Amino acid sequence: MKRELALTVNGRLAKLQVEDADTLLEVLRDQLNLWSVREGCGVGACGTCTVLMDGKPVSSCLVLARRAEGREIVTVEGLAASGKLDVIQETFIEERALQCGYCTPGFILSVKALLDENSTPTDDEVREYLSGNLCRCAGYGDIVRAVRVAQEKRRAGAT
Amino acid sequence: MTIPVFELLRPKTLAEASELLLKHGDDARLIAGGTTLVILMKQRTVYYPYLIDLQGISGLDHITADGEGLRIGAMATQRAVETSLLVRRSFPALADAFGKIGNVRVRTTATVGGNLAHADYRLDPPPVLLILGADLVLSSPKQTRTVPIKDFYRGLYETALEPGEILAEVRVPPAPEGSRTLYLKYSSLSANDWPCLGVAALLKGNAKRCDELRLGVGGLAEKPLLIEGLELARNETITDSLLDEIARLVDEQISPISDLRGSEWYKREMARVFVKRAICALAEEDPHL
Repeated sequence: MKRELALTVNGRLAKLQVEDADTLLEVLRDQLNLWSVREGCGVGACGTCTVLMDGKPVSSCLVLARRAEGREIVTVEGLAASGKLDVIQETFIEERALQCGYCTPGFILSVKALLDENSTPTDDEVREYLSGNLCRCAGYGDIVRAVRVAQEKRRAGAT
Repeated sequence: MTIPVFELLRPKTLAEASELLLKHGDDARLIAGGTTLVILMKQRTVYYPYLIDLQGISGLDHITADGEGLRIGAMATQRAVETSLLVRRSFPALADAFGKIGNVRVRTTATVGGNLAHADYRLDPPPVLLILGADLVLSSPKQTRTVPIKDFYRGLYETALEPGEILAEVRVPPAPEGSRTLYLKYSSLSANDWPCLGVAALLKGNAKRCDELRLGVGGLAEKPLLIEGLELARNETITDSLLDEIARLVDEQISPISDLRGSEWYKREMARVFVKRAICALAEEDPHL
């Protein structure tokens, strides 16, 4: 049975009809057409479905949509809503921290959550924080470098 | 991956949640953070027509401390425990164990109570809670009772929870004065995976004289174990022969399940290695290996 759900995504309130069994991932993709949110493993291990919930990273494949009501959801689309890329997105492009791009939205959001939480992480902290985001093109070296560059740019005031 | 159709019930109080549990019996399961239950439902490993959501019940996610120790609400997230200064200061090994579960997204969503009540044999926090002598507060409309965590685990995915009972809080008494604790997680596949085994150790004293030693292990039997008989180490110098004796004691009490992370033989070998490593690390007052 479908129920009404009011979901705040990228700063907008969306009124939706969802099943209790619908995951946040399914609702974001199928009803709101936010295709940056991707299903990889479906069990919370790969990070391609990462979204921010009240600023914290979660696997949207493991969150029941109804339980996300009242929370602020942000996807990569929400980072560049004004048309200007976030400094983390820019840096990923400049540092070539992506190849096929499938994992990139998840990485960008994880990096944003990490740097919002800790503006000066150690190398170990970066690697540990991102250890749940998998890149099968094996771009980890470039990704960690991009985190460092983005971190410096943010320190200098870039957003 | 989709989840089969079910109905999400959203009680506002613990008593209401208990009533729903009793009403629906085996057709219902509590959902806390949901990170495990959602996966098991997706994989069709388990199916419940009703999930009873604990998210809407207020007052279950506290982390507080007083003279009697630490209190952690069952709905506190694992990430909240991992990053809590209160926990890190007084029980660093506990913060560490919660910080080693899955990945940061899982820990942001998953809860303390959901983890403990799942009663998987490989959980990271129970070995630490066992050596700290933690109590679990179980709530039902009839009564609220406190069960030592060593009596909570009954077997593979089996706990002391009675029908309608809900794990509401974890209480950790102050650790013995001057003692140090450590949790070692050994992952044989990947860092984010279930452990092959986990060893928690508490030592009061040093390499020259052991005043008290406690060991808790995970992944080495059908349930998390508190190792018995460690009085033999009391007032002893920590020598190779004492370590061998302790390792033998551990070996007698474990019964590892062969799984993807290691055969029974391998887990017994690694148990010996990690038990010794944990004790030595604490004895040398160097908790960072």
